[in-house]
Amino acid sequence: MMRALLGRKETWLAVLLVAVFAALPWVSGNRYLIGQMIVFCLWATVAMQWNLVLGYAGIFSLAQLALYACGAYATAMLGFFLGWSLWAAMPVAAIVTTLLGLVIGAACLRLRGAYVALLTLAIAQVIYVLIITEADCFTYIDGVCQQLFGGTRGLTRFGDLGFRHLFGYKFIYADFYLALALLIVSSIIMLVIIRGPMGLAFRALRDNPGYAVSRGINRFKYQLLVFAVSAFFTGLAGAVQAAHFKSAGPSLFSPALLLFLLAAIVVGGVGRFWGPILGTALLMLADEGLKEVSDYRNIGLGLLIAAFVILMPQGLAGWSGNLLEGARHRKSSRAASES
Amino acid sequence: MTADQAPILSCRNVSKTFGALAAVANLSFDVRQGEVLGIGGPNGAGKTTLFEVISGLSPASNGEVVLDGEDITRLTPHAICHRGIARLFQLNASFDGLTMLENVMVGAYFGKASRLLPGLRLDAGSRRRTRDLLALVGLADRADLPMRLASVLERKLIMLAGALATEPKVLLMDEPVGGLTPSEIDQVAEVVRKLPSLGVTVLLIEHVMRFLTQLSDRVLIMHHGERLFEGAPDRLAHDPDVVSVYLGVDAATALKQAAAAAGGRHE
Repeated sequence: MMRALLGRKETWLAVLLVAVFAALPWVSGNRYLIGQMIVFCLWATVAMQWNLVLGYAGIFSLAQLALYACGAYATAMLGFFLGWSLWAAMPVAAIVTTLLGLVIGAACLRLRGAYVALLTLAIAQVIYVLIITEADCFTYIDGVCQQLFGGTRGLTRFGDLGFRHLFGYKFIYADFYLALALLIVSSIIMLVIIRGPMGLAFRALRDNPGYAVSRGINRFKYQLLVFAVSAFFTGLAGAVQAAHFKSAGPSLFSPALLLFLLAAIVVGGVGRFWGPILGTALLMLADEGLKEVSDYRNIGLGLLIAAFVILMPQGLAGWSGNLLEGARHRKSSRAASES
Repeated sequence: MTADQAPILSCRNVSKTFGALAAVANLSFDVRQGEVLGIGGPNGAGKTTLFEVISGLSPASNGEVVLDGEDITRLTPHAICHRGIARLFQLNASFDGLTMLENVMVGAYFGKASRLLPGLRLDAGSRRRTRDLLALVGLADRADLPMRLASVLERKLIMLAGALATEPKVLLMDEPVGGLTPSEIDQVAEVVRKLPSLGVTVLLIEHVMRFLTQLSDRVLIMHHGERLFEGAPDRLAHDPDVVSVYLGVDAATALKQAAAAAGGRHE
């Protein structure tokens, strides 16, 4: 089935990449490295699901981190207030995030382009401000005021996945494989969607909404669908983030992370399957390299993004895709001229 | 074709007003199954607005549009597509980020009936219909090229194939040969002639009079949103109103001569 989705060469490449990635912790047990690899899996998932809305459906939503935070907060709150096991809380958090995604998708239904960006950013900002300005005590724990969303401190001490109990200090390996599983499952579902009828509908609506509806596509249904799918996996990523870091706080809304992930999509290639994965990897590596010269870190990232926008507007994935396509065209035209 | 047969499409007292301006004013007409109805008239006569109204992209202010006995005036555009009306656009509409095959596939998969939830794979029926229609318009070997590489003629043919993929009862064609060379026009005419045998009824807006009169069974000329003329295409050039408002004396004479020259061939 995978071969129908990716093509033979790409499938082998993907399998090889996953194998190397999965083996890495056993080659180097460096906890910082494993920690960063977990972050990569989470961010790549979030960027990929954002790309579904942004690149495939052409809806310029900036609410992606609000959905990520929703998944994390829902997991933390179910664990904290109701004492749920995180294994039960995580899928429920993903469903809660899907509902939030549906609300945001419905709110944007009549808007286009920059107005979608403004509204979604406003929604994310309102949620953020409501959380950090919350002053009322929802309950008292040991006589200490506890807000519903944890205010500026966020929520901690809501249990964990039990990996520490099972694997001791190697719990981080289990966290890593959980995050990797999330990235793989989210990738496969993403491929099934973009290669199937749903992807066709999303891209048709993106390219020409008026034409698409007059060919029988229900814009209302497919816009809600794209937000729902994207929100589900983004929320799941948020849930894994909360379980791994054992906290959920307002820093999840950080504009710096929003720009970083947006840049990852642009650098990797908007509307391309490999784009967000390549982009997140490249930007994280560049960020790591620039840590030594911390004064120039943001300038370096900025220059890198500017260079890609100007020199490689289709991103890494688009550029390498064009190379492959060009080679195939040369081959077929040579074959044609020989026959 | 008998006159008492129920019309496949009828517009009854349809009006479309924008403020004080009536783009379509109290227009009524019927179209019979398998007929090609040509629609002409000067710029601003309301031809395209009439198509906007029928296809539901801009619903009528007054009156009703009835398709095969069902009132479709207030339905959404995608629902109207599912009922069996497909439209070609005056400005070439396309999905430029998709391949030519995918452009047709959109109509084949989504155009026929409402799907509660889309499947995960494109079904064999839609694939077959897409392939067949690409062959019909002569673009089978270009199927996998991206749409943005398509020529003007290819865009028009792909748009036509995409419309036919929805298996329409009625096809609305808005200037299908605008901007084409005479030989390209003949190529499109070739495809349009096949449509009645596929059971498709056609409403055809066109300024190229030769194309309009050759293909239409009946012609409706609009002016200021109203009907100026309705009748057989060969009577068009003899109607004094049509000549003064739309054709002009020279064009009317040329059209009569062309009709006389083509007459022997047609009968």
